[in-house]
Amino acid sequence: MAAKFSRTFAVIVVVAAIAAGLFISRRTSHRNGPAPAASSADVPVRGGELVASFRSEPRTYNRFVDTSAAGDLLTLLTHAPLVHVNRATDQLEPWLAESWTESPDHLTYTLKLRPGTAFSDGAPLTSADVVFTFRALYDPKVQAVIAADTYVSGKPLQLDAPDPSTVVLRLPAPFAAGLRLLDSIPILPRHKLEPALVAGTFRDAWSVTSPLTDIAGLGPFVIAQHISGQRMVLTRNPHYWRRDAGGVQLPYLDKLTIVIIPDQNAEALRLQSGETDLMVNADIRPEDYGSFKRISQQGRLRVLDAGIKLDPDLLWFNLSKVHADDPRNAWLRTKAFREAISCAVDRQAVIDTAYLGAGVPIYGPVTPANRTWYVDVRPACEHDPGKARTLLASIGLLDRNADGMLEDPKGNAVAFSVLTQRDHLRARVVAVVQEQLRKIGIDVSLVTVDIPAIFQRWSQRDYDSIYFGTQASSMDPSLAPAFWLSSGNFHPWNPSQTKPATDWERRVDELMNQMAVTPDPAERRRLFEQVQRIFADELPGIYFVAPKAMIVISSRVVNPQPAAQIPQLLWSADTLAARPAAR
Amino acid sequence: MSVRGTQVGGTLLVAIAIAAATAPLVAPHDPGQQFVDYVYAPPMRPHLVDDDGQWHWPFIYPLRLVSRLDHAFEEDRSRRIPLVWFSAGTLVNAHDPQTPWLLCGADALGRDIFARVLRGARLSLAISVMAAAGALLLGALVGATAGFHGGRADDFLMSIADFVLVLPVIYVVVVLRASMPLVLSTTKVFWSMTAVMSLAGWPYVARGVRSVVVAERRREYAEAAQAIGAGGLRILLRHLLPAAGGFLTVQATLLVPVFILAEATLSFAGLGFAEPTPSWGVMLHEASRAPILAEAPWLLTPAFAIILTVLALNLAASPAYGATIETVIADK
Amino acid sequence: MYSGFVRFVVRRTAFAAALVLVVSSASLVLAHYAPPEDAFGTERAVLARERHRLGYDQPLLQQYTHWLTRSLQLDFGESLRFRRPVAALVRERVGNTALLGISGLLLATLIGIPLGVFTGSRRGGVLVSAARLVSIVLLSFPPLVTSLVLLLVAARTGWLPAGGLPLIPPDAGALESAAIIARYLFLPSLALALPVAASIERLQSQSLREALADPCIIAALGRGVPYRRVIWRHALRLSLKPVIAIYGITIGAVLSGSFVVEIVMSWQGLGDLMFQALQARDLYLIAGCAATGSAGLAAGILLSDLALVAVDPRVEELG
Repeated sequence: MAAKFSRTFAVIVVVAAIAAGLFISRRTSHRNGPAPAASSADVPVRGGELVASFRSEPRTYNRFVDTSAAGDLLTLLTHAPLVHVNRATDQLEPWLAESWTESPDHLTYTLKLRPGTAFSDGAPLTSADVVFTFRALYDPKVQAVIAADTYVSGKPLQLDAPDPSTVVLRLPAPFAAGLRLLDSIPILPRHKLEPALVAGTFRDAWSVTSPLTDIAGLGPFVIAQHISGQRMVLTRNPHYWRRDAGGVQLPYLDKLTIVIIPDQNAEALRLQSGETDLMVNADIRPEDYGSFKRISQQGRLRVLDAGIKLDPDLLWFNLSKVHADDPRNAWLRTKAFREAISCAVDRQAVIDTAYLGAGVPIYGPVTPANRTWYVDVRPACEHDPGKARTLLASIGLLDRNADGMLEDPKGNAVAFSVLTQRDHLRARVVAVVQEQLRKIGIDVSLVTVDIPAIFQRWSQRDYDSIYFGTQASSMDPSLAPAFWLSSGNFHPWNPSQTKPATDWERRVDELMNQMAVTPDPAERRRLFEQVQRIFADELPGIYFVAPKAMIVISSRVVNPQPAAQIPQLLWSADTLAARPAAR
Repeated sequence: MSVRGTQVGGTLLVAIAIAAATAPLVAPHDPGQQFVDYVYAPPMRPHLVDDDGQWHWPFIYPLRLVSRLDHAFEEDRSRRIPLVWFSAGTLVNAHDPQTPWLLCGADALGRDIFARVLRGARLSLAISVMAAAGALLLGALVGATAGFHGGRADDFLMSIADFVLVLPVIYVVVVLRASMPLVLSTTKVFWSMTAVMSLAGWPYVARGVRSVVVAERRREYAEAAQAIGAGGLRILLRHLLPAAGGFLTVQATLLVPVFILAEATLSFAGLGFAEPTPSWGVMLHEASRAPILAEAPWLLTPAFAIILTVLALNLAASPAYGATIETVIADK
Repeated sequence: MYSGFVRFVVRRTAFAAALVLVVSSASLVLAHYAPPEDAFGTERAVLARERHRLGYDQPLLQQYTHWLTRSLQLDFGESLRFRRPVAALVRERVGNTALLGISGLLLATLIGIPLGVFTGSRRGGVLVSAARLVSIVLLSFPPLVTSLVLLLVAARTGWLPAGGLPLIPPDAGALESAAIIARYLFLPSLALALPVAASIERLQSQSLREALADPCIIAALGRGVPYRRVIWRHALRLSLKPVIAIYGITIGAVLSGSFVVEIVMSWQGLGDLMFQALQARDLYLIAGCAATGSAGLAAGILLSDLALVAVDPRVEELG
């Protein structure tokens, strides 16, 4: 009896819990109603809101101090440069500068500012703001990180403002990429920031704790709200200068909410459940493709094929510091060793295992996605383990004791470690490569750490090899001297050299410097082709895969313009529109 | 019920231990071998009856890759591949060398999950048993000293034990581990995790041993021994500690599951073993990515291995479980 | 009587304070010796400047004394990784963990006590054995595993959200917000609750069996009071003492389990914050999290001790 009572009690509790759960889940429904059929003939209309998810948040709103991905994103959304590179077509477009003329010696550009442009607080844009921006950029107290991106031959640009709507830009030396330099520099409001610059406190201006009314920009949105750790709400900039072809003032969206979700899984789940409309890093992992495809067949999501990605990952060895007592010095850093590795790896197996087939093999830093600059440089050897063994034997690495693994002439095992990012596709790629190299007798150990630890070991030159990515080949190569030149600070295998350590690096430096000043595009491409061939030959970095980009968006997103560079969709946030949701 | 429970638990435990010990022989494949065409392949069940209703020696159908990106596979029902004993150096394997037999499916790199789970059993059991031994040793030492000397030493040692007892186990373990360099070789990881877990576990043992020692010390034979001048250490080792033997055994069976879990949690959180070591925690870490988990639930096999092992241990120790709770409460 | 109670409370509070102090100091000291984090390029110079500004490169004793004096003034320093005051960060997150912990405990109680009464009040039978088996099985479902399995179920079926903090739309009313929170909270709490429920069940079962042997219970039965009433009105109250006693210790287990559940289910609470702080070697944040965790633990133990006194006044002597 008592037992029956307590049993009944338990049953009641359980049933009540289930009923409550079901009731609750029926009350809340998805934000979207019945899934509307997506059609590419959707015409963008003004109005509507979208929710995007992002994995980090800005530590400051001051672009000159913050170089993080979050800072990049905010700059794209709330600021505007003088000229703009259209990431889908790779063409230079007039932006805040309506038109410009170039002097015959290619050293002086005269830009005319678009009349009637105003900041988000209503103050008009004048050339004084442009001059101020560059003054702050080059100010020694500000120590703006992106200043170096605008240097030509190591010297800053010079700007003058002869009248309120004209800016004269003087390059210290001819620069073939020309005004593309200006794409990454947002024009800041003098009336808001000049006092801080004069007082020397520019670095502290526009920090996360400043009132949002202090911030003014020329971009399509303004920051309306920022709840740290949760979300940033951006609303339309009422003074935005841009209009679409039909004369409608952009942006189309009334509101863009960026939800902060640091975990990649949670981000994917939110997109699948319809709580967010897109991800800022819009492409999905290959293993998630199956579940996304299933959901897209119900109509709530769309999967876009955005072609091949730019900026592939590379495996590079530490060529910068040689430990005198490392017994592997005779062979670890030789070109033949790297050639053998590149030769032995079955790139298709890497693609099939780590990327589930969604990628193409590559052999150099530039991928087919970079249509302007890509050249198909095939090495002499493609997946030929026999040739790899011959190469290794030529530097004295043989299986001397029949254990299946190679040893050098002194009997040391042929072994090295690869440092890479934990919990990432990169770790998987290295695991596959590890297995492949084991088959020809090389013992690779995989060390996975988080990104700050990678940079720590890299900057201390305390590693054998690293597998990671660089952002160097998504644009005009002259705009990424940090990677290509031997003196660059992101020339990963041997950064910041005072003079080129090898002949081939000297040759590349010469070619890149030539390329920077030659105005003829065809000649520039020819020079850069030579650079690519040298890379394929010397293999300072071994490249395996250029993955395919698969972008997933909710069916509410209208007029997406996918580009290969991150952020794939929000680079053109002003032309994004939303389908009105049926509640 | 409890007696049968203990028997079931004990048998299960022995089976698991044997499987773990003989892992390379039992598993059909090497845990590191990557099958390119079987990434995220579903489990391949052995069948006894084919589609026509005919009975055969246990066989499997080979899997065919339909779409790589969707990781969609299809059973090729036109071919039957029988399972054979003692071939290719393993206990059971598929007859066809081209077809890997993936009893629990494959993971993100096309590796056999069953083989990895067995190898993981070795790691997890080894580390937990080592850590339990360490905790027993440390705890017995501290507890015996406290119980024997009594007074100030007893109070001091037991308040330390109480203190550590109260702290959340995982927090202690995580903080201790995180204070060491993050990247260590597998051997160093093994021993540092063992040390950390022993440090987290000794108070449970110490309390119990102390109670036993205190109780025994007052017994006649101990007083008699003292009267004839036997040294303290001798009394401790020859008379009092053996009395605690029963308690220590039970404690071991209670600590091991806690440590198995601690290792899994540490590896899961990235503070323990790392890829490609096939520890259960590392495998669960990969499985915890939700979108792929929904598509490939067999990635959770190590979770069930953990449940099974812990269940076996709990069943085996079940009669003693209640007694231990009493001891803890009585001492409060 | 009264002074005994006061002494009890004072002693317990002192224990709580000592707990918080020792735990946070130990975390700070341990973290001090850990090798530091680094960042890339220009960020590295900024980071070095930050570390210097926050006093990370001071010798241990100096750093510890500074931290201690400031903490007593309730200033817990600034987080290196988030560049915000530690107190603010902890305040944001602690509510999530507390919510998770409390609902986990509640769920565990709702499952454990009735089940324990059931198995403790009957002699034998299939159902009782089944319930005992269920209890042992639940004990073998650690939060790590349970949360993964529940994540799978959620992702597969979509009935409940697969992890994450509740995303409440800004225009939601109070009832709707509560419903949304409950939806998101259910699975993580369940993952936490199961093993705790099993412990509670076992304990409740045993102590009820013992309470049933108490003379006054037997007397009541002899007087003809119905069995069911005896169980629920008399024996239960007698048997609650050890169960309440265990609540204090259980909080430790709940905190322990919540660490993993927070990571698996992306529930951004204290455990998740502590984990990030550990990875970033963010000294003050680590100490702050440890202090908060142990303060919560101490508070829980104190509450359970007070509840114990309320149930059985004889206990205060043991304080």
